[in-house]
This record gives sequence, structure tokens and C-alpha cells, in this order.
Amino acid sequence: MLSYRSRIAVLVFLTPPLLAYVVAVVLPIFQSLYLSLFEWDGIFDPVFVGLGNYVKMFTADPSFWGSLGRSLVYVAVTLVFQLGVALLIANLLTYATRGREVIKTLVVLPAIVSTVAIALLFRRLYSFDPPGLINQLLDFVGLEVLTRAWLSDLGTVLTAVSVPEGWRFFGIYMLILYGGLLAVPRDLEEAAKLDGATEWQVFRYVRFPYLRPVWITTTIMATTNALRGFDIPYLLTNGGPGESSELLTTYMYKTAFAHTQFGYASALSVAIVVECLIAVGLILFMVRKRGFTV
Amino acid sequence: MKLALVAALATLLAASSALAQSPAIPPAGEIVPREITWLASRPSDGPVLSTVRAIADEYAAQHPGFKLDIVETPDRPSYLQKLETLAAARQLPEFFDTDATPFADKLRQQGLMVDTAALLESYGLTDQFRPVALNYDRFGDGSLYLIPLEFGMEVFWYNKAMFEAAGVAPPSTLDDLPALCPKLAATGVLPLALDGVDGWPPQRMIAWYPFRLSGGDYLDKLKKGEAKLSDPIGVKTTEWLASFASNGCLAKDFSAQGYTDARDQFTQGKAAIYYMGTWETDAMINEASQAEAVRGNIDYFTLPLTPDAQTGANEFFVNSGIGMAVGSGTFDPLVYDFVKYMLTRYSELYANTGALSPMTYTPEKLPNDAPLYAKIVGEIPKLGSLYAVPWDTQLDPKSNTVMQQQLTLLLQGNITAEQFQQTVDAAIAENAPRFFN
Repeated sequence: MLSYRSRIAVLVFLTPPLLAYVVAVVLPIFQSLYLSLFEWDGIFDPVFVGLGNYVKMFTADPSFWGSLGRSLVYVAVTLVFQLGVALLIANLLTYATRGREVIKTLVVLPAIVSTVAIALLFRRLYSFDPPGLINQLLDFVGLEVLTRAWLSDLGTVLTAVSVPEGWRFFGIYMLILYGGLLAVPRDLEEAAKLDGATEWQVFRYVRFPYLRPVWITTTIMATTNALRGFDIPYLLTNGGPGESSELLTTYMYKTAFAHTQFGYASALSVAIVVECLIAVGLILFMVRKRGFTV
Repeated sequence: MKLALVAALATLLAASSALAQSPAIPPAGEIVPREITWLASRPSDGPVLSTVRAIADEYAAQHPGFKLDIVETPDRPSYLQKLETLAAARQLPEFFDTDATPFADKLRQQGLMVDTAALLESYGLTDQFRPVALNYDRFGDGSLYLIPLEFGMEVFWYNKAMFEAAGVAPPSTLDDLPALCPKLAATGVLPLALDGVDGWPPQRMIAWYPFRLSGGDYLDKLKKGEAKLSDPIGVKTTEWLASFASNGCLAKDFSAQGYTDARDQFTQGKAAIYYMGTWETDAMINEASQAEAVRGNIDYFTLPLTPDAQTGANEFFVNSGIGMAVGSGTFDPLVYDFVKYMLTRYSELYANTGALSPMTYTPEKLPNDAPLYAKIVGEIPKLGSLYAVPWDTQLDPKSNTVMQQQLTLLLQGNITAEQFQQTVDAAIAENAPRFFN
């Protein structure tokens, strides 16, 4: 039981951030929920349509389902970088004896570059005519048959817009995971090695179990961030060609500000919130099913 | 961020029910200098903004306390987001840019825009504008709530040397246009440079055939769902568009090419044809910015005819660009007086920049002595009475997006003409009633 003074201290310190959270996060979600019950063009009076926007979204809007599916692919590609590559490099860094700080700085660098600059950079990298770096490299190693217009080809564009997002922030997640790996007791690793464990076995049975709480948190952060990904796909292709790189977020933005369907856009924004909650729920469910705690 | 934006609009629901009234012209009262705002969607260093800035400085010198704050957002989607948010909040500034779109029509219906036909009439300036420039800014019922500040004709810029090398001549019919592509491509050049990122340049292409076959009738019906792309005109048009893909007319990555990318392909000698307005004349006559092989080889041709064309060779895309609206909520004697001063000074100052003016004023001496410039200026008196209008300003916003998306796929050869017709017809049938009933 906290003393009276401690309770006051808790209240004083917790109330401002809680209030800020309610105003900045909870209130907009409820406002979107409210607006999603209307049909509104921003000019004439809103018309109450009840759950009509949700019925349309689930039963009569193929663009919604298509965008949702592409968003999941976008998340998958992003996670390959932000979890897979990040973990690999973090693990390798623990073995590095020289240049560790330089590598850390280099991989974190993309996170501080502006989104517009990244979009322009990748537009040039993917360029077909004049050939960008990727097509030039393919040509150089004799794989000219693989050169293509990466942002115009319906088969590659979704991956092409996902890669910059994964690349951009993988350094941040790498740092978090690296911090987690540094906390693994060295005596345990040495004991395992003395018992004949290979490097892989050390990672699998000693390092990763220690890293798991950090890994789960990182997974949740990376997944929810990727589900809300918007700027790079919007700047690179604006969802095109056709709808082949349209994500739920870019679709919602267009619905609101290009189609002036603010009620329906609110329903889509509620779907994005629900999508993130489901993703976090699924991750936690899988973790607990396997008997781990966060 | 996006969620917060949509949510912020929810808080504006209460404000949306108040109907504003169109103000009296001229407004009663004294001129009280203050700061006024123009929400502009034009290039920062373009002739319109530089001219108006100079005029505003003159006006400020005569009216201490006056200031024109120009909020520039050249990127159109970002601009429209700002405009729609301000409109929903009933916080539109003194001036804002818009085309005569279905959305702008809603603003007019809510009394949020000043009747500029009455405004120009009260200044006695109506006759000083080119009729085509004014007509382009009118809504479907003929009313005028915008002031045109630009004037342009859309033409096919082409490289004479590349045409000669390929043994082809400018097309005399629309069907000849895609037929040129294989011959041009065989010489190693890109036949047609096109900005696919922005959506509207490809959409000009779908407007060409219907304009030749029906003037504006087909579009008027199509946008309301009274005509379909699966009708004979639509079928002819979309099959013709599909031939651009099969004839290899466009760059493989045109959908990722932006405005300047396409222009550079032409001026740097990689592309043979570039369809764009005369607002790009400077890039066409300024040889210093062109590749050596391009210098002196640029000419243009206008929209080719069809064998059964209902419109004349002197009738094509002519427009006055995005218009300037005067917000009714802040319309007062100062705004009335400033607009009068601005328009009185605008014609001379703007024409002397070399840009084509929406007003009839012509400088005694042309500001540029390039033969190509003189040829373009000489085109204006020969223009016919009909002109094609951009489809993106006429269709409802959702159908417009669907058409632009599908058009890219059609021009890339990813879908057939029939698939294009079905998808876009369905979108118009679903969305047009919200704007045109």
C-alpha cells in the first residue's frame, strides 16, 4: 500500500502523460468511430448511415480487401529486414572486435534521413531508363534478363515499395536487439561452449531465450509500425500502377482527401486500428501459447 | 497522423451545417488594410505568383498595413487536402485555387465562393478576358465563380530531326499517332514521353478521341452515368488507347516517371514526342537547357483530327489552368478593392513575362523573339470556339481515381480495353449520383 505522499506523487507524474495520451490517441479513435457512422463529404451536412460504411467495407469494396492483403505482404517484407536482418547483424556485431561503432552508425543513418529523400533515392535506384543502380548491377553481372521497371511491373512493385520501409528502420531495431544480446551473461555462453556447443547452439539455446522479451517487444513495434506504413509507398508510386501497391493506409488517405468520403475513410481508419490490435493480440497469443512471458 | 487528420474533421461537424450567403458586390464599408491570404497551388517561381507578388507590393505601398500572404502548395494532392480541411471548417481564406470541379461546385452551392462573373462585371473587366479563358472556369450551369490567371494551349511538341530520321511526318489523324511509334522506336528513341505519376497527363489521352467525335457531349453524359465507356465512342477510344501499349509508344516505366522526368526525356533528346501545354514554351525555346541534338529541332503539332471529326483542327485542349476563387466568408471592401487593383495591373505585367495571358492585352513588342514563341502567339487568334476540357475536373473524384489507375494499366498493356470499360463504368455508376443528382 502506497503512502499518501507516494500516491500524490504517482498522480502528479502519471496524470499529464495520461491526459496527453487520451487527447492525442484515445479521443481521435473515438471521433473516427463516431464519424464512421456518417456519410459526409466535408461540405454538406453529414448523413447518419449507422453501420452502412462497415457493411460496404466488408461486403462491397474489393479495394478494401485488396489493400488489406497488400498491407500484410508489406508487413512481411518489412519484418524480414527489421527483425531478420536486424537480428543477424546484431548477433554478428557481438563478435566484431573492430569497427563496431562505425557499423552501428551506418545502419542507423537511414532512420534520420527524410522520407522524401529516401523516396527519391529509391526511385533512382529502381529506375529502368536511365538504368538505376539495381538494373546496372544486374546488367554488370550478366543478369540483364532480370532487369525491369521495378516500380511499374505489377509483379515487383509491392516488394519494391516495401523494401525502403524495412531498410529505413532496421538499424533502430538492430540497436535494440544488440542491446538485448549484450545483456546475455557471458559465463553461460562460455559454459555452453566448454560443453561443446556450436555457435548456432549457443545462439539457439542461450542467447535467444535471454533475448526473447526484447524480441517480442521489437516484433510488436515493427509490426504495428509496418501496418501503419504510408509515406514511402505514397511518394514512390501513389499506390500504383493501378492498385498494385495500394495499402490500407494510402487507400484511406485517398478516400478522405481525394474522394471526399470522410465517413467511409473514418471506417477505414477504424479498421486500421483494429488491424493493429489484432496483430498485437496474435503475437501475444502465440507467445503465451508457447509458455513464454513478456 | 492520418487518423488524427480524419478525426480532426470530425470535430468540425458542428461547423458544417451553417450555410453562408453569397456576399453583396460591391461590399459596403470602408477599406481597412490588413493581412489577407491566398492558398495557392502554383509553382513558387512561376509567372502568376511572381506577378501577383509584385502587384501586392505596389498595393501595400499605397495601403500601409496591407499584406498578401501567399501559402504555396504546388503539389496538388497536398493542396487539396488543405483546401478540403479548411472548407470543412468553414475557414477558407480570402483567395484559394481550384478548378471548376464537382467539389468546388459544392462549395459554390454552400455560398462559400464569391460570384466572380458579377465581380468582373462590377469592375468593368469582363471584356478584357479571353472568352475561352472565362468559359473554362465556368461550372456546368454556366455560372462563373473563378478568376482565370493563366492561359495555355496543349500541343504535341516533337523533334523534327527524329521524325525525319524515322521517315515519318506529324500525324494527320488520331489513328496515325500510335502508328508512328514502331517507326520511331526502330531508330532507338522513345516515341512518346509521358508523366504517369500525376495521373492527369494519361487522362488527357482518353479525352482526345471523344472530343473529336462528339465535342463535349460524350463527357457530359459519361460523368453523370448517362453514357458508358462500353458505348461505341468509348469502345473506339479505349481500343485506340490499348494500341499505345501494343505499339510500344511509351516508356516501360512511364507510370513511375514524373512531370520533369518526361519533359527531360524530350529536351535531352531521348523522346520524339511530348504532349504538354504551352506553359512549357520556355523549356522548348530555351536551348541552353536542351541537349545539342535537340536545339533548333523542336516544333509542335496540334490535336490530330479523325475522319468523322465533329470538331475543327483549331479546336483542342485550351484552358486557363487552375482558377482563383474569392472566399465569401472574408469578402470585404479591402478584398474587393485589391482584386480590382490586381486585375487592372495583371494583364500588362503578366503578359510581359512571356506567358500567354488569359486577358486580351498584347504587348506592342513580344517579350521573346524566338520563332517558336511567335508561332504559338500567332495560334491564339485562330482558335475555334470549342475546346476540350480535362476529364479530371469533370468526373466525380472517386471515378476519376479509378479511371486514372485503370488507364495506367491499359497503357501498360496489363488489362484489355474491355476490362477497362467494365471497371470504370461500374465506378461511375456507383459514385456519380453523389455529385450529379
